[in-house]
Amino acid sequence: MKNGDQTILEMRNVSVNFPVKGGLPFIKKGVIQAVSDVSLTIKRGETFGIVGESGCGKTTLANAMIGMVKPTSGEVYFNGENLYQLRRDAFKKIRRDMQMIFQDPFSSLNPRFNVYQIISEPMFIRGQDDEETMVQRVIELLELVGLSKDDLTRYPSDFSGGQRQRLGIARSIILNPDFLVCDEPVSALDVSVHAQILNLLTKIQKQMKLSYVFISHNLAVVKNVCDSMIVMYLGKVMESGNSETVFKNPLHPYTHALLEAVLDTSIKEDREQVILKGDIPSPINPPKGCRFWQRCPRAMEGCKTIPPENIEVESDHFVACHDVNGFPEGNFEEGYKKPLKSFDDDLSEHGKAHQ
Amino acid sequence: MDKVLKLRNLKVVFPSGHGIIRAVEGVDLDIHQGESVALVGESGCGKSVTSQSVMKLIESPPAMTRVDTIEFLGNDIKDYSAKQMQDIRGKDISMIFQDAMTSLNPVMTCGKQIDEMYIRHQGVSKKEAREYTIEALKLVGVPEPRSRAKNFPHELSGGMRQRVLLAMAFACMPKLIIADEPTTALDVTIQAQVLNLLRSMQKRHEMSLLLVTHDLSVVSNLADTVYVMYSGKIVEKAPVKALFQAPHHPYTVGLLASVPKLSDTEKTFSQIPGTVPHPMKKPSGCYFHPRCKFATDKCKNTMPPLTTLSENREVRCYYPLNLKKEATA
Repeated sequence: MKNGDQTILEMRNVSVNFPVKGGLPFIKKGVIQAVSDVSLTIKRGETFGIVGESGCGKTTLANAMIGMVKPTSGEVYFNGENLYQLRRDAFKKIRRDMQMIFQDPFSSLNPRFNVYQIISEPMFIRGQDDEETMVQRVIELLELVGLSKDDLTRYPSDFSGGQRQRLGIARSIILNPDFLVCDEPVSALDVSVHAQILNLLTKIQKQMKLSYVFISHNLAVVKNVCDSMIVMYLGKVMESGNSETVFKNPLHPYTHALLEAVLDTSIKEDREQVILKGDIPSPINPPKGCRFWQRCPRAMEGCKTIPPENIEVESDHFVACHDVNGFPEGNFEEGYKKPLKSFDDDLSEHGKAHQ
Repeated sequence: MDKVLKLRNLKVVFPSGHGIIRAVEGVDLDIHQGESVALVGESGCGKSVTSQSVMKLIESPPAMTRVDTIEFLGNDIKDYSAKQMQDIRGKDISMIFQDAMTSLNPVMTCGKQIDEMYIRHQGVSKKEAREYTIEALKLVGVPEPRSRAKNFPHELSGGMRQRVLLAMAFACMPKLIIADEPTTALDVTIQAQVLNLLRSMQKRHEMSLLLVTHDLSVVSNLADTVYVMYSGKIVEKAPVKALFQAPHHPYTVGLLASVPKLSDTEKTFSQIPGTVPHPMKKPSGCYFHPRCKFATDKCKNTMPPLTTLSENREVRCYYPLNLKKEATA
């Protein structure tokens, strides 16, 4: 099944809940729904983008993909095998095929290890190779990521942020994985280094035929890197599909808002921005209906209570929004289609103070 | 336009065990009233040190600062004592820091921290100060300011905390606001909120703004004049529109090209090769020459001077690019 299959990873109705333990007097006991009911498929060789603000569950989702967080419910299939039903040794073996690049290259490298120790550690743990092959392989990788073999004995503190991220990349690909999760790989780096790292990732993907999961809050990067994508908000998928289709025809109000918030370097006179008001609500006891209604400029009465379904609006483009899909059939309270006017006025007043 | 700040030949040096770090090497800066000036560059280029020197926040020792003039509202504050500076800080110049969590006092309510500004600089009573504070919080769009003022910083979200910092910075209606990466720690949607707020407050109250950032997209939205810094030196100065239309310095060109844009269609990103030189091992000649594809022997041996090309445009390069574009623009 391993190589013939088109799908590398599939998630079915995955939810991840974190219990909030009591102890602090002001915090209610409850459950944080970090990820709730997410289904997705990632094809072999593609780059899959996960977009959303901090706290929307994108990192938890990625962790659930590679077996770092056990989902509360739902299944994860990697190369056709149910990750969370594997025996321990089989699970360890399969984990070699999935690796991760972390966001912060300053805290993800052990400061007391030198470059050789850092990069060879996964190989060392696997324990199948002798010292000489390991050194050879590390040098090979250093050259691939644009460093040299003179760096072998240096320590992370000798490197700049971009170079450290290169080390992190080298470490993640040493075992020839199939699947690489890049968790905000560039957001801790300088703008001029972004491009270098992104180009390097693309080069490696081509060379090693990897599948990427690319987590980012920068839509401009996602647009240029990803083949398909999901937009998340408070643990739910708002919009998903082929990234070209989504960017050409963004339908969900949250996707619109994210796109508006991307600052471009092109200077436009008096650009009209739809700026989202308010903050992300707490994921403890999230809103009952659509999770976005409190900040949504197009919210209606019904959005408060009726959760929207993820519906395919065109081929390979799914949206979960009542305003786009219409409300489902059913007996709802009167006036559920009424726009939240009072709420809207409140917002515009709030907005005026900004002008 | 009146000059709010005039900085001439600022040099900051940090001696260390391994050598001398020349963080800032002769920076000139002018800020007029109501103008917003951006200082752009990568980390380690000296932009934060420059902005903190204006407030005289760089501690000496370890740092050694030398400056010809720091003129603020016509007064030379170069030799002001620590006490005199305290009267200016917060009242006439105030600062917004990058990380709202670490720059607020965690054991004091947000309201009390803003109250302090009024009590210290306007000599009002505690009660009056709280009224002003609530007014200030309302101004920066904090909902329910009266109860928010009683919250501790950890009870607020990142965007709210940044608003509290803004309220504090705007409290005494200073002439100059220094914002050091004001939105880097925030989410994109919150970033848009805070930037809009900063811009509208600054325009409405005719304040001057010194914006320190590495994010060119923030610059294009907020600044009037841009100074690009590289390795401790100003490499280009231009009005924001001109800079984005026709960047002259190869570094600026590279920096602009490397920002990913929504309108891009290519799958690869243009990049500047190499990395920023280590502050203790700066190259000879032009500091940018090892990364510059136009570099010649002249660049390798001598540092180009900052030359004025036209009104308001200066560039530190022997072979400035896009000169024709400027003529048509």
